[in-house]
Amino acid sequence: MASKPSELTPASLQEPRCEAADPAFLLSRRQFLFGVGATMTVLSMPGWLVRRGMPARVHAQVAEYPRQTIARLSALRTGDVLSFNYPWDHPQSLNFLVKLGERAGGGVGPDQDIVAFNSFCTHQGGPMAGTFRADIGVAGPCPIHWTTFDLTRHGMVVSGHATLGLPQILLEVDGDEIVAVGVMGLIFGYYDNRVDPSA
Amino acid sequence: MPLEYTPLDHVPLPPKDAQVYTTACDYCIVGCGYKVYRWPVDAPAGGPRAAENAFGVDFPSGTLRPWVSPNQHNIVRVDGREHHVVVVPDFETQVVNRSGNHSIRGGTLALKCYNPETPTRERLLYPMIRVNGELQRVDWDTALEVMAAVSKHVLANYGEAAWAMKTYSYEFFENTFAITKLAFGAIKTPAFSQHDKPAMGNDTAGLDDSGLINFSPSYDDWQMADVLFISGTDPYETKTVLFTEFMMKGPKLIMVLPRRTAGVAFAESRGGLFLQVVPGTDTLLHLAISRVILENGWEDREFIERWIATSWEINSGMGRGTRNTPWQWRTTWGQFGTDFQGYRDWLLGYEWAELDRASQVTGVPKEKIVQAAEMLTGAGGERPKASFGLEKGNYWSNNYLNTASFTAMALLCGAGNRPGQVIGRLGGHQRGWMKFAGYPRDKSPEKLPGRRKVELDLDRWVEAGKVRFAWVIGATWTAAMAASQEFERRFREMTRDNPHQITSLDKDRIIETLIRRVDSGGMVVTVSDIYPVVPMGTEFADIVLPAAAWGEHDTTRCNGERRLRLYSKFYDPPGEAKPDWWAISRFAQKMGFQGFDWETGNDVFEEAARFSRGGILDYYALVWKAKQEGKTGHEKLRELGTTGIQTPIRVENGELVGTKRLHDSTLKLGSPEGPTIHAKWLTHFRSHTGKALLIKTPWELFGDFFDYIKPRREEGEFWITNGRINEIWQSGFDDKRKPYMENRWPETFAEIHPEDAARLGIESGDYIRMYSDRVLIQTGGFNRVKPEEMRFTWLLENGYIRFGKADVQAVAIVTDAVPPGLIFTNFLEPGSPANSLVHRVPDPITNRYRFKLGTGKVERIGESPYKEDFRFMTFKPRDVG
Repeated sequence: MASKPSELTPASLQEPRCEAADPAFLLSRRQFLFGVGATMTVLSMPGWLVRRGMPARVHAQVAEYPRQTIARLSALRTGDVLSFNYPWDHPQSLNFLVKLGERAGGGVGPDQDIVAFNSFCTHQGGPMAGTFRADIGVAGPCPIHWTTFDLTRHGMVVSGHATLGLPQILLEVDGDEIVAVGVMGLIFGYYDNRVDPSA
Repeated sequence: MPLEYTPLDHVPLPPKDAQVYTTACDYCIVGCGYKVYRWPVDAPAGGPRAAENAFGVDFPSGTLRPWVSPNQHNIVRVDGREHHVVVVPDFETQVVNRSGNHSIRGGTLALKCYNPETPTRERLLYPMIRVNGELQRVDWDTALEVMAAVSKHVLANYGEAAWAMKTYSYEFFENTFAITKLAFGAIKTPAFSQHDKPAMGNDTAGLDDSGLINFSPSYDDWQMADVLFISGTDPYETKTVLFTEFMMKGPKLIMVLPRRTAGVAFAESRGGLFLQVVPGTDTLLHLAISRVILENGWEDREFIERWIATSWEINSGMGRGTRNTPWQWRTTWGQFGTDFQGYRDWLLGYEWAELDRASQVTGVPKEKIVQAAEMLTGAGGERPKASFGLEKGNYWSNNYLNTASFTAMALLCGAGNRPGQVIGRLGGHQRGWMKFAGYPRDKSPEKLPGRRKVELDLDRWVEAGKVRFAWVIGATWTAAMAASQEFERRFREMTRDNPHQITSLDKDRIIETLIRRVDSGGMVVTVSDIYPVVPMGTEFADIVLPAAAWGEHDTTRCNGERRLRLYSKFYDPPGEAKPDWWAISRFAQKMGFQGFDWETGNDVFEEAARFSRGGILDYYALVWKAKQEGKTGHEKLRELGTTGIQTPIRVENGELVGTKRLHDSTLKLGSPEGPTIHAKWLTHFRSHTGKALLIKTPWELFGDFFDYIKPRREEGEFWITNGRINEIWQSGFDDKRKPYMENRWPETFAEIHPEDAARLGIESGDYIRMYSDRVLIQTGGFNRVKPEEMRFTWLLENGYIRFGKADVQAVAIVTDAVPPGLIFTNFLEPGSPANSLVHRVPDPITNRYRFKLGTGKVERIGESPYKEDFRFMTFKPRDVG
C-alpha cells in the first residue's frame, strides 16, 4: 500500500502551472512523499474548488514554493531535530525537521524517516516546537489545549482539536542536501501559504 | 476505500460585507458559539489586511487569534445561488468557548453543510417509498397519506401501544415539541423511547432521587472547584471545550475510567489521580471512598446538618422522597432512603464497602482509594471545594446503584448547592427536549411489583412482536441499542421478511399491502433522517422522509449549562427536505388532529414556551418580553447571539435574567416579577423538603448479574467496553462525510493490551473480530408481581433470558492504555455495532441498559489496508502527557 500514489498533495502542486514547470521535479516530490518507485498519476483538486476557489486578485500574487536547502543528510542522526523557516522568513513559518528512526509518510533519506513539519498547532496556533517525542514519533501535546500529531502519518491528528493535520514540509534529497520544496496544508494564521506575508 | 482528501494550502477570507449569522455547534453538550460568514461566490473574497476582511484582523494572524482553516469553508445554496460559507468559533464570545476555542468536531462544522460536490451529496432529498425492495421517490402528500392510513388502522385495531416512535431527544425544541404533541398529546402512545435508551424516564435516577437536577451546575463551577471527581467519561474526548476551557484551568482532577486517555494523561501531569476501575464496579468504589471519609470523620458535618434530610423529613408528606419515587417497589422494599446516621451505620457495617474487598473487585489499589478520599475532603485539614461530574461510563454500566452511590459520596463531601461545589452530569448531546406533555405512564403495558406502572421497554416490546407501526426520527435504533445484531434480525423478520411487500407506486395498493402486513403480525417502518441510516433506513424502512438539518432552518435548544441560543438558518435545505416539526404537523393534520397548523418554526417555539413554564428549561419570559417589544421569540433570541441566556429565564427590574446554577444556596431572589416562577429548586434541592437525600445502594441488587456476565478469562472472554472518541460525533453521520475526519477514522477501532495482542497474534492495523454466542436478551415479563422478579437470577431461572449472537469487526490498536482483559471500541458504528456485544438486560429499577458491560471473544482476521498506508488512521498512543 505504501507505494500507492496518493491524493495527499497540496492543491498548489496539483495545478497545471506547477506540472508545466518541471514534470521531473514533480515526480521527485511524489517519490519523496510515497516512496521511490511510486507511479505518478495526474491528480486534480476537487473540481468545485478549482472553479470557485480563490478570487482572481489573490491568484495574481501566487508564487511557486521556493526550494530551500535545510540540512545535510550525512550529518543527521536518529532523534535529531532541526528548526528552520520556510517558505517565508516569518515567525509562523517556523518548522522542525526530525529523523524519526521509523519509516514515515513523506519521509526522505535511505530509511524514509526524515520529515519536517510546521511548528504551530493548527487548532489555535500553539507552539509545537520542542514537543517532539522521539520514542513514539509524535509531536505534542500542544501546551495550550493538548493536541498531538502523528509525524509518521503526514502530521495527522492523533488526539485533539485541530481541523487540519500539522502542515508537512515537503522534502527531497539532492545529493547530500535535504531540500524543502513545498508545504502540504495551510499554516496556522495564514490564508495562503504561497503569499509572502511581508509583501 | 476511504474518501479522497486534499489538504489545501489556502482558504478564502470572508469579505467585510459578508452576511454574519450566529449559531451554536450542532454536536456535543458543550454547545460552543459559532459565527457563519456568507457571501456569494461571484463576489470578491476578503483580503489579508484588517480593513479588507470581516474579522478586522491582519493576516497572518497569530496564536489564539482568529483564523480560518480550509476545513471551515464550504459552498452552499441560497435561493438557488451559490455562496461561500466560513463557519468559525465566535472569537468575541465571553461564554463557553472563550477566545475562539473549539473541538475538532465543531471546528469542521462547515463540512457538514450540503454541497452536492462533496460527500454530503448522500443527503436524503425527497420522500421515498420502498417498492420491490428499492426506495423510490414520491411526493410528501403520498408518503404522509400512506402513513396516516396505516396509523389509523393500527390505532383502531391494535391500540396506541402498537404505534411506536423512536426519536432523538435533542434535535431542537421546535421538533421535539411537535413530536411529543403528536405522540403524547394526540396519539397518547406509551410505545415511545428516545435515541439512547429503551424506555422513557430519568437517565440518572440516583441523582434525581437524591434531589439533584442533573444539569444544575454552570460551566464556571467546573473551573472554580479545587478538585473534580470525574466518573465514567474523559471530557477531553467527549465534551472537549468544557475540559480545555474550564477543567484544565484550575482544579486537580480525579478521573475514574477503565482506560487511560489524553485527559487522564493531563490529570496525572498536574497532580491528579487516575482510578482505573473494572467496568461496572463504580458503586463499590464510591462506597469505599465514602467509608474512608466516614471512618475518619472527614465528611462535611455543617453541610450535612443543614442540607441532608432527616428520617422524619424522608418519611413525611408528599412529593419527592424515597417513599415517593416513581418506582414504588423501592418503597415496598424499604432498603434505600435513610438519614445521615442510618447511612453511616449501614456503610460502616457493610462488607462490600470494606477497603480490601472494594479494592479487589474494582481493581483500584487501596492507597488510591484513600488518596481520593483525602483529596476530596482535605483529610481533616482545610476543606477544598470538591465538585462531582459523571457521565455514561458511570450510569450506563450500573444505572441506579452507581448514580445513587455517587451522589451520596458527593453529598458527604459537601457538594451540591454552592459555587464550585456542584454535582451534575457532564452530558453527551445538548438539551433539546421540550415536551408538550409527559409520557402517558398510565397507558404503559409494563409494571413493577406493587401497583406502579413503569415506562415501557420499547425494545423488548418490539422483540415481543407488539409493534405494528414505528416512526423512527433521527435515530439508528438498532445500532444504538443493546444486542444490536439480534435486534436487527427481529426487525428484518417483521419488515422485509414479511410476505406483504409493496410492488406498486399506486397509493391505494401501497396502503392495502401495508395493512395486510400489519394484520399478519408484521411491522411498517417510517424513517425521518438526513442521511440513509444503516440498516433502519436502508433496509427496513418502507417510507423515508428527508429532514432539514442544522443551519437549514431556525431552531433553538440549550447546552449543558442550560444556555438557550438560536441556531440560525444560513442556507436552504436540499431538495424537498423539511424540518421534522413540519412533517409532524402535516401528518397530524392528515390524521385529523387539531392544533398542528404551524407555519413557521417560531410558531412552534412560541407555543412551546408556555409548556416550558416552571421547568428547568423555562424560557417563557423570553417570549413574553419579545411580545412586549413587538418581536417574535426567535427574533428576540437572535439578538442574544452566541451568548444566549441560561434557563430558567427570570425577569428582574423588567429585564431578562438567566439562571447560572440550580440548587444555588447563594442565590438571592426577590419577589417573582412578571411571568417569573421561583421554583424551590433554584435555591434548594429538588425534594419535598428542599434537602438532599442519602440513598443506600446494596451491591446484591446487581451482583448476581455482574458475576454472571463477568468475562471468563479461561475461555478467552474479554470485557468489550465502548465509548465516544473525540473525532467522531454519534454514529459519524457527518464525520464519515468529512474527508478529513473520515481519513482519521476510516473504520472503527478496538484498543487491546499488548499482552493480549501478543497471545492472539494481533498487531496494530490488523482486522479483528469480536464475537459472542452468549449475549443475554431479556424477553417478556412486562407484568411483574413479586419483588424477586426484579432480580436477574429470577429472570434466568424462569425462562426470561435467551442467548443471542454477535460478531463485529474492527481495526486493532495495540496499546497499554487499556488493561489486560479489556477491549475498548467506539460506541456507535452502525455497520459494525459494538452494542451487539452488550447484553439486552436493562437495569430493572430504571430500564436502562448496561451499555459499557459488553463481553466477548476476540480473534485476528488479517491485515487492514491502514496498517501500512500512511494516509489513513494512526496507531499512536492517545494518552500522551
